[in-house]
Amino acid sequence: MRRIKTIFLTLVLLIVGAFLHYVLPQHDIVRITSTEVIRTDFNGMNRLFYAQADSGATELSTRDLRLINTEMKKTWLFGFIQRDSSKVMVYRNEDTGWIWPPYFKFDSSDLQAQAAAEVSSAANPQWAVMTHYGWRNKYLTIFPNAIGIRPVAGPDVTVIPWFNIVFFIFLIVAFVFLRAAWRQFRERAIDPTMQDVDDRLDRVGHQLNERRGRFRRWLDTWRAKPRK
Amino acid sequence: MALIRLIFFGFIGLTIVYFLVSIYSRSVRREKLEKAWAEEHPESDNVPARDAYVAEGMEQYEKSLRHKLILLVYVVPVALVIGIHIVTTYT
Repeated sequence: MRRIKTIFLTLVLLIVGAFLHYVLPQHDIVRITSTEVIRTDFNGMNRLFYAQADSGATELSTRDLRLINTEMKKTWLFGFIQRDSSKVMVYRNEDTGWIWPPYFKFDSSDLQAQAAAEVSSAANPQWAVMTHYGWRNKYLTIFPNAIGIRPVAGPDVTVIPWFNIVFFIFLIVAFVFLRAAWRQFRERAIDPTMQDVDDRLDRVGHQLNERRGRFRRWLDTWRAKPRK
Repeated sequence: MALIRLIFFGFIGLTIVYFLVSIYSRSVRREKLEKAWAEEHPESDNVPARDAYVAEGMEQYEKSLRHKLILLVYVVPVALVIGIHIVTTYT
């Protein structure tokens, strides 16, 4: 039983962790190499990993998708430790609109123009911090969604994830509040009621015992008297 | 259309949060009043007086700024949405 509980809890934790890893913003150090637009036909598997059509447009099964091609600095541990090597990375650039995830992004065209303006060569690199959410997966053909591009002087910048810090503090506060509210509710509403029910059950049980006792005594009067 | 949906469901969600927080806050306040009464009148069995004391305290609480601050449950998320939107779109 304990093992099942552990496995279940680990699974829940993994799913929640993966969900947060997908949705929360992350920062990559990139050099933008080019921008492009490709036509995309989604399928049932990867539709989940794309946003909807641009805020002012109609949703169709096929549409153009803005992409930003980059050379990205590799990192360890969710981007906290930088490595010397780099790899290619492709970002999509879509409006998230008023829906999900809640970035309220409507400026993908402007962002695409900015990305095009930041294009640089390996000989004369212009580095930038790319804020994004999402995952790159080659088998599903999914891309992280670019949220913002900020040019920086060199590739060795430290980015403090303020939003994530505030978010996790909020998460802890929300958890503590919910636990306190639940305890208060149990202490003030459930426990007294249970106490009441307990008392009543006790009384009923007692009465029942007494009645049974009387019945027993009456039955016993039918029993043969001990012979003298 | 999506904005209307966001406002609609956001309002429902925040109303649930509002009620949870206000019920909790009221319960904590009532408990505090009961404890204060018990401390001042350790031997008293005067239930009506105690109830009146608690009722008066709760009435004061309903009028207090503290109680009205729970309305921030509606204000903060809206400010946050506007803030995030401005940061992603205009910087």
